[in-house]
Amino acid sequence: MKLSVGQLLLIALACDLAFATGLKGQAENVFDVKFEMSVKGRSIHDVFEEIESKTDFRFFFEKKVLKGRPKVTFEEKTLGDALNSISEQARLNFRQVNEVIAVTEPKSDKDKKPVEVLLYDKNLQGRVMDAETGEPLIGATVQVKGTSMGTITDAKGNFRLSVPDDAETLVISYIGFETQEVSIANQTTFNVSLKQNTSFLGEVVVTGQGAGINENRISNKVEVIKAEELENIPSQRIDQLLSAKLPNAQISLTGGQAGATSLIRARGVNSAFLNSTPIFYIDGVRMDNLNTRGTLGGGNAQRAAISSIADIPMDNIERIEFINGGAATTLYGADAANGVIQIFTKKGGASSKTDITFEVQTGIETPTTDFLHFERSEDLLFQNGFYQKYHLGINGGNEDFGYSFSGNFFDNEGSQFADNNANRKIDFSTGFRAKLGEKVDYNSSFIFVNNQFNRNRNGNQGGYTGLWFAESGSSTLVGFNNRLDELTDAEFDEIKAYAHRAEELQDNEINVNRFITSQSFKYTPINNLELKFTGGIDYRLQTEQTIITNEYLSHTTQNEVNDEGSITNVDRDYFGITLEFTGQYKWFAGDFSFISTAGGQLFRNEDRQVEFVGTNIRDGAQVISDAAIRNSDEFLIEVLNYGIYVQQNIGYQDKVFLDLGVRGDRNPAFGDNIGTQYYPKVGLSYLASDEPFLQGVDWLNSLRIRGNYGLAGNLPPAFVNERTITFTGFQGEQAAFFANPGNDDLKPEQTTTIEAGIDVAMFNNRVSFSVSRYNATTQDALFFVPPTPSTGFDQSQLSNVGEIENKGWEISVNVEPIRTDQSSLRFNFSVNTLDNEVVSSGGTAPFNINGFSARTIQTVVEEGFPVGYLRGNLGVFGENGVFESTTPNSFLGTTLPDLYGNMGLAFDYGNFSLFANASYQQGAYAHSFDQQFRFLYQASEDIIPAAEIEANGRSNWLNFTNEFIEKTDFIKVRDIGVNYTITPGSSAIFNRITIGANVVNPLNFASSSFDPEATQSGAAQGQGGASTGGISYAVYSAPRQFLTTVRINFK
Amino acid sequence: MKLRNILPVFSLMIFGACVENPNVTEEIFLDTPGPSKSWVTGLRGQLASTMSTILINTEMISDNYFNNSTLYSKVFDAPVVDFTDLDVNILQREVGRLREMADYGLETVAPADPSIEAEDLAYMHFCRGFALLLAGENFTGLPIDALGEVVGWQTLLETAIEEFDLAIAESSDAEAIDAYQLLKARTYYKLGDLANTRNLANTLVGDTSLLFMAGFDGENGFGNQLQGALFPIGPNQSFEPLPRLDFLDPKYFNRGTAATDQRPVALAKAEEAYLIMMEVLLAENNLDDAQAMGVALLDVVEGRSTELLDDSGETRIGPNRSGYPTTAVRIREDENSTFKEGYVLDRRTDEITTFTVSGTRVTRDEINATTTVDELLYLVYRLRQEVFISEGRRSSDLGIRFPVSETEQLNNPNVGDAFIQPVLPMFIPLNGGMDAFTVDEAGDVTMLFDMNKVIVDNKTSEDIVPFM
Repeated sequence: MKLSVGQLLLIALACDLAFATGLKGQAENVFDVKFEMSVKGRSIHDVFEEIESKTDFRFFFEKKVLKGRPKVTFEEKTLGDALNSISEQARLNFRQVNEVIAVTEPKSDKDKKPVEVLLYDKNLQGRVMDAETGEPLIGATVQVKGTSMGTITDAKGNFRLSVPDDAETLVISYIGFETQEVSIANQTTFNVSLKQNTSFLGEVVVTGQGAGINENRISNKVEVIKAEELENIPSQRIDQLLSAKLPNAQISLTGGQAGATSLIRARGVNSAFLNSTPIFYIDGVRMDNLNTRGTLGGGNAQRAAISSIADIPMDNIERIEFINGGAATTLYGADAANGVIQIFTKKGGASSKTDITFEVQTGIETPTTDFLHFERSEDLLFQNGFYQKYHLGINGGNEDFGYSFSGNFFDNEGSQFADNNANRKIDFSTGFRAKLGEKVDYNSSFIFVNNQFNRNRNGNQGGYTGLWFAESGSSTLVGFNNRLDELTDAEFDEIKAYAHRAEELQDNEINVNRFITSQSFKYTPINNLELKFTGGIDYRLQTEQTIITNEYLSHTTQNEVNDEGSITNVDRDYFGITLEFTGQYKWFAGDFSFISTAGGQLFRNEDRQVEFVGTNIRDGAQVISDAAIRNSDEFLIEVLNYGIYVQQNIGYQDKVFLDLGVRGDRNPAFGDNIGTQYYPKVGLSYLASDEPFLQGVDWLNSLRIRGNYGLAGNLPPAFVNERTITFTGFQGEQAAFFANPGNDDLKPEQTTTIEAGIDVAMFNNRVSFSVSRYNATTQDALFFVPPTPSTGFDQSQLSNVGEIENKGWEISVNVEPIRTDQSSLRFNFSVNTLDNEVVSSGGTAPFNINGFSARTIQTVVEEGFPVGYLRGNLGVFGENGVFESTTPNSFLGTTLPDLYGNMGLAFDYGNFSLFANASYQQGAYAHSFDQQFRFLYQASEDIIPAAEIEANGRSNWLNFTNEFIEKTDFIKVRDIGVNYTITPGSSAIFNRITIGANVVNPLNFASSSFDPEATQSGAAQGQGGASTGGISYAVYSAPRQFLTTVRINFK
Repeated sequence: MKLRNILPVFSLMIFGACVENPNVTEEIFLDTPGPSKSWVTGLRGQLASTMSTILINTEMISDNYFNNSTLYSKVFDAPVVDFTDLDVNILQREVGRLREMADYGLETVAPADPSIEAEDLAYMHFCRGFALLLAGENFTGLPIDALGEVVGWQTLLETAIEEFDLAIAESSDAEAIDAYQLLKARTYYKLGDLANTRNLANTLVGDTSLLFMAGFDGENGFGNQLQGALFPIGPNQSFEPLPRLDFLDPKYFNRGTAATDQRPVALAKAEEAYLIMMEVLLAENNLDDAQAMGVALLDVVEGRSTELLDDSGETRIGPNRSGYPTTAVRIREDENSTFKEGYVLDRRTDEITTFTVSGTRVTRDEINATTTVDELLYLVYRLRQEVFISEGRRSSDLGIRFPVSETEQLNNPNVGDAFIQPVLPMFIPLNGGMDAFTVDEAGDVTMLFDMNKVIVDNKTSEDIVPFM
């Protein structure tokens, strides 16, 4: 039987009172209570008062129930009969629960019942908590199985309930959690922990809402990933971790080196100027999310760049929320069109227990050799490296205070020869939660990360780079036979000695120190009003040092030099402050509920990059003070964005919700002619499963239909709206030049998203699926309009001239075919389609975002094509196999997949669990420069017809670039793991011991001969520029790791 | 905290967080003292940058050098030129930037700077004139103003002359004036204006020391790209000279660190007056005086300084073609010519003599032995090629012109389709013919085409040899 919330509340109160009074002793049945009463034309209220004055019974009802009821007339001899007469005349239902009589209004004639009598002498009490956090669950339903008897938990999660002696089972349920049944037997006190249900709606989410709100009430999906889903995946990076976990986003690491950038795309590519990386928050504080090279250092345009995402701390995460743009991100305003990923760190549980976990993870990292052309490249460039990681986690607290600590040490020798990819990371984080008096809650987190890694030369770095030397065949330039697999052992030993020495002589090191803190206060002055202030900083210092010795140059060029040694240092110093103030007020009026939210947000960040270079320096020097020539350069950018927002969420009968909101943003980066930018949203969420006509459908657990319209933006970089002059030195004097042309009309690009979707959970929540259709159009898209040669400017000016459209389906399915007390088997699968097109370029010439020169290969933005399509020479061969003609600047394929998603399985049997995650894509293409170079350097003949090689040798190598383009469909298994958990009940020390084994990146199935994900993402446009990958050139694949884990949880 | 207290605090935080552009805006630049000094230095830097781009591309597109690396343009060598090519756009941008910076200096910086000196104004006019000269020599046409209408190369050259006149009028530096005069003569020459060319060039003959150069600055990013291609430190990726020009390579090189030793390029040098006069005299059918002028020219060339260089690291190995001679083999200009010695150097045995300003293997005897206009005209173009090698002049002598770029056309409504086609005269061999040669069993080298012969054979073409 289903009860409305109002009825449950009333009954709960009745039960509480019954419980209280019941403690005095057994109540009488109202039909056994002699109570002679003669009433003529009196109000019901009067009658109730008289009964209460003469008996121990108490009536409970909502005032509106008696409103408008007729006066009653009767003459009866028992209280039960009197109630029956009133019930008949005034059309009311009465339910006696011991000494309490609940009065309700029947919804229909069918619902009209005679007086119910419930006399219980068993008084139960207990508490319902979140199994994961130990937090009390407020409003959880506790019912006696098979009856309508029940109550709901109070603000502390407590309940009390009087039940008949023969009551056997309690059913405890809470929205968003798995329902649990508890045997009553002789127990009177119950502490029940409910497990969260991952396939069910109704969770409280924060991201994109200003303050916490039940997901039912909002019109978009919020992906939530919890700590337990993360803890078994041995990843060192948040993006790598999420790559198989977010069903509707595609995340690819673009290289196997530590700190490599990633391509993160949700809902396609909505910008041709800005990287598609979402913005990241930790506990409400915005993070540095630079996922391309920096302006200075950080890898040059075509070199593997360094990502700030790589060192976002990972080991103290409570949960992660992800929203993928559109209306969901409207409240983030001018720079959230790519979506928002928010990390919530642990702040301790409420169970008064201190949870201590120690974990050791060790193993071997080996190279992923699946995509190497020459088998012997492995011997030339790679090694097996030792991997170790130690983690200590402490989590504890009570209702009023919580704390957590996490410390980690990670050391990985890496799989590239001479430890050229070694990585060491140390991080500490703490989280606190405290109740400061009755009305104020305080939360804080502090995180420190030190990440240190080596890099060998890779990509288009010029000179010797290992992969270019071995796989592209450029070893021929220094006199080697480049067909590695055809060499004699002696020949191979020679080239190996050369390559090993070249690798050993490289000395490139990156060191990152990062400190993040978030502080927040929540003030609840009155019921239903919550004011929250959040402030925090992210400070990240990246130092990058590249030492090129004369010995290295002499060895790799085979030309003795002694005055070309150099040290290049680049420091990137990022400091970001976030301040946010939010107020949320909840109020109710009849069937309507309202949640009003208003707030303001400010973020300001400063990105300072300093390069200092010493050239002509003696080998052995580590600092540039010993250099004959010293140069330096500096880059500074400051961003300030502030906005205010209001949001109104209106609920009707807790099943239809209207979500309205708007944010206004200002930013000094906007042109002089541009004022406040507004981002409105409107959405509807309808819980159809709460309709009476669906309540009888047993197999349906929930059904929600939703739709929304919303705007989100991408900010232009700071100061590009201003016309500037730049200076440099020329022959010892100050030289002035045109710099930025300026644009008084510069404004953020705005992505308008229309979305509709349906979320269904069924078969006891064992099957759930979610389908969304979106259409996102970026108007006033910012294009880097290439400088017109006759204007004298050599910098592209950002202008709001383009229009980009992304549309597609997002489907995710979770199925649990096996669910028993002992075991469960769960599958998840997601399917996303993408149709991306530059609808208008506003007359702008096609421009390159991530490729090389027009005669080689470019990824280009052009009207009528997908963003970042491959453009180059399209060659045609005659029937005889000889090259005939070439068409430059031809479309050679899109770099964006039209289908992608993730899949995973999790199997638990008793203490054993097995899990695997995979990603896939279809429909994208990429270019292999390695292949093209192999052809040029005569290391391979496997692509181009023999007749052409015979006729023209390699001279046409750039005339048929299309021949080196391949389809990049793939299925990649990201990890496979097994765990066995021992619970030594007899031990006074150990609570749980988990032993696990993982293989990371175990299997790759790809249609291309090269790694479809190991594509350059340097973004030729510069810092933060758009990139779609698509060019495979001397980039290492993400390595394979074989790891074992021992995790001990102490009592 | 009450609401009325929170709002001011929040406002204060916003105010306190204000950001200021760390870069210099145009307004600030013009309001601070002495903007013209910085601007003129900027023009010098831009001239370096423009010349660097001109040199690397025009030397490659001509028969002078073959790009045996995977850097730089992949098609100019063929030659293939298309208005969509990024390198075409870069070339146009570099020329346009020099002109536009000069315009801005004259129209905006100069009026805002009461302390501006006449010599600075002269330099601005020179830069504008030189940009227009480069445009007129190397492009089919270009806009003469930002987003302006495209004008033909003749108009560009005529406007260049006006600017040189203004530069000469403002300047009181005798050497600079001579250089501007010579540039004017070069402009008249390209326009085919025999009388004005003769008048100007004649006055400059005898000024044997005239050498007006554009300097580079490798430490500040204004390097000479061609120097890096001719004298690389990388793994043997470089420009290779046509074997018969091997003895002139490299004109630019560094001793010690490349960044600190970037060699300048001559923009105007005495030799040009002689070369122009030779053509003037030949156009007037005056072979004797032309021969005398040629002999005098050799005196000038021989008076130029040379340097000894250890170039033993030069292997002539590159990914695009092999077979370049590295020993002192004989060469002939084409299969109808006779083999000659001394043109290909053996760099492994001795230091070589480099001609940092001018060098040639043309001899007095060869000049004096000519009996026809065409025979001497052939030597004039050999001399031009050898004297001006690595100075970005050869492609213009071959009549090659770049088109207006696609980016200009898309952003500038004043660009018609007439100017988006390059000029590659019919007599220019395609598919790498200009750089092609064969090596016989003895190692002697025969060029496929003698482009100087081709020039003489096609001297009446409107694209080349202005006075014929």
